[in-house]
This record gives sequence, C-alpha cells and structure tokens, in this order.
Amino acid sequence: MRVRRCGVVFAAALLALLAAEHPAWAGPPTEQLRAQIDRVLKVLEDPELKKEPRALDRRAAVRKIANDIFDFSETAQRSLARHWAPRTPAERAEFVQLFADLLERSYISKIEVYGGEKIQFIGESIDGDRATVRTRITTREGSDIPIDYRMLPRGSRWLVYDVVIEGVSLVANYRAQFNKIITTSSYKELVKKMRTKQEEFLEDERQRRTSLK
Amino acid sequence: MERTRVNVAVGVFMLLGILALGYLSIRLGRVSFLGGSGYVVTVDFPSVGGLKAGSTVEIAGVEIGRVESIRLADYQARVTLRVVGDVKLQDDSIASIKTKGLIGEKYVRISPGGSEKIIPPGGRIREVEAPVDFEELLSKYIFGKV
Repeated sequence: MRVRRCGVVFAAALLALLAAEHPAWAGPPTEQLRAQIDRVLKVLEDPELKKEPRALDRRAAVRKIANDIFDFSETAQRSLARHWAPRTPAERAEFVQLFADLLERSYISKIEVYGGEKIQFIGESIDGDRATVRTRITTREGSDIPIDYRMLPRGSRWLVYDVVIEGVSLVANYRAQFNKIITTSSYKELVKKMRTKQEEFLEDERQRRTSLK
Repeated sequence: MERTRVNVAVGVFMLLGILALGYLSIRLGRVSFLGGSGYVVTVDFPSVGGLKAGSTVEIAGVEIGRVESIRLADYQARVTLRVVGDVKLQDDSIASIKTKGLIGEKYVRISPGGSEKIIPPGGRIREVEAPVDFEELLSKYIFGKV
C-alpha cells in the first residue's frame, strides 16, 4: 500500500516536472484523464462546496471541468449519427448544447452523490488517433464497474468522446434512442422533448432552491 | 440398347441427386467459395462470447453479411465480417455482439454512424461493444434515458 502511494506521488511529481518543463506537452491520455478526474474529485470532496446552499456552485464547477474532459460536440455528432449531416450549423450548435444538458442531468447529479469510491487506472491503448483508457471503479459495496474512456486528440489535449461502462457504450445507447425518436416522429420532436426535459429540470431545481431558503 | 438407356437414366438421376445434396450442404453449411461476394471488414472484440463463424451481421435487424472467421489476435478476438451488397459502413459505426432474445444465438449488430469517412474494404470497425454478460451485470447499472 505504502509502496503504491509512493509510486503515485512519484508519478505525480514526475508529471508536474514534465508539465512545467514543456507547457504544451501533451501527456499520454491516461495522465490527462487522471489529472482531470482528480480535479473533479477535489471539487466533490471540498467541504465548503458540500454544503447544500452551494450545490449549484458545485455543479457549475463540475460542469466546467467536464468541458475540459469531454468533446461534447463529437459525442453529440456521433450520437446523432446519420441525422447529423442534414442539420444546419445553428441546429447543430443547439443540439450540442441540449445534449450536454442531457448528460449533465443524467450524470452530474449522480456524480454528486460520490462518496469515496475508488478509481483505478488499469491501462491504455492507442490505436492511430484514438485512445482507450481503461479504468475500474470499486463501489462502497465492493463491486467493480469497468469504465473505458474513448479519447481523441484535440490540439494538445486528449478529449473523451465516448464512455463504455460495463461494455455498454454511451454513444451507442443515445444513438439508438435518438434514431428511434427521429424515425418514429421527427428531429423537431426530439429537440422539443429534450428542451422540455431541460426546462422541467431547471424548474425543479428552482423549486428546490426556493424551498431551501 | 434399351438396357444402356435405362443405365444412363439412372446415372443421370444419381448425378442430379448428388448435385442436389452438394448444393444443400453448401447452403446449410453456409460455405462460401472463392471468397464470396461483397467485402470484408475486421473488428476486434475483447470477447466474443458465443459468436461463431457463420453468425449473421445485421443493421436495423436486416442481414447485411456474415461472420467469416474468428481468431485470436493480441489476446483479443479478431472477427472478420463479410458484408454483401453495397452497404457502406461509416468510420464511426459501432459493432456490438447481441443476443437474439434472452437466450438466443449471438449476432453482430452494427449501428451506422454519421461520419463522412467510409470504412474501405479490408478496413476495421474501431468502435465496439462487447457482449453483455448478464451474470456479471447483476446489481449493476443502466444509462439514463433521454
């Protein structure tokens, strides 16, 4: 245990050194992802932000880091798949925004209940311009959930475009759902649905906040 | 003379029978000669869990090809798919191994992407989903809904 901690400290020190020496140096995907996840954990574990009135600040902080981890536009494009090409630039921008909101609703609220689950980095493989970083989360109950991050290089950084949890791909999941909605009704209907959901969510949040005051 | 004719008739009949049998076994055995038609793409899965050569490849439930071979490459399963017809697979297509029904046979499902890049013949589908292991999945979780 101690040996491993020393190893981690050493690796972090080494990374800091390298980063300091070469500001534009793009580290391997794992190191970048680890650094970003550490940032998220720091926010989640911050006792000041844990207080209920600061919940929104906390969420905003997580979302800000999420923007540094994910390439939301790539994920949105891949999820919309065949239906992406016919969209106008304005529609695309709107969709990416709605999609990011959808991910925030579904996941950031779940991340907020984080309570010290262990995250292990198991390995990484780079295949051309795509990387897979394999991680494992050990829950408090002791079950392991394998999570793979699929990443693409964007400038000097690697950004996540798909998350594969327990072999189930996030993009594949949303692609199937979006395709079903678009083919059975229309793209307009999908956007309307996503927008209503987001408005409902914001309304709920507002009510929760006012009831707290 | 009469005798020879009967013999020839029997011979031809036998030959037809053998040919029919050969045809049947080729069809049922799903053997393809001379590489077959269409083109091949490969996919690397972490595990194939019950997928076999000859299993179907589907898009939207429609068969677009078959699994030609499965072999081990770098401790992963390298599956070669033969796609027949002029179905184009986009670069961001996702290949998943699915089960027909709850305990049915395994097949490869391809969910077409939206990329402008098309996978060339002999290319590789890089986005994959391994088959879901239901036993391992107990008490595990599901993605949020739209």
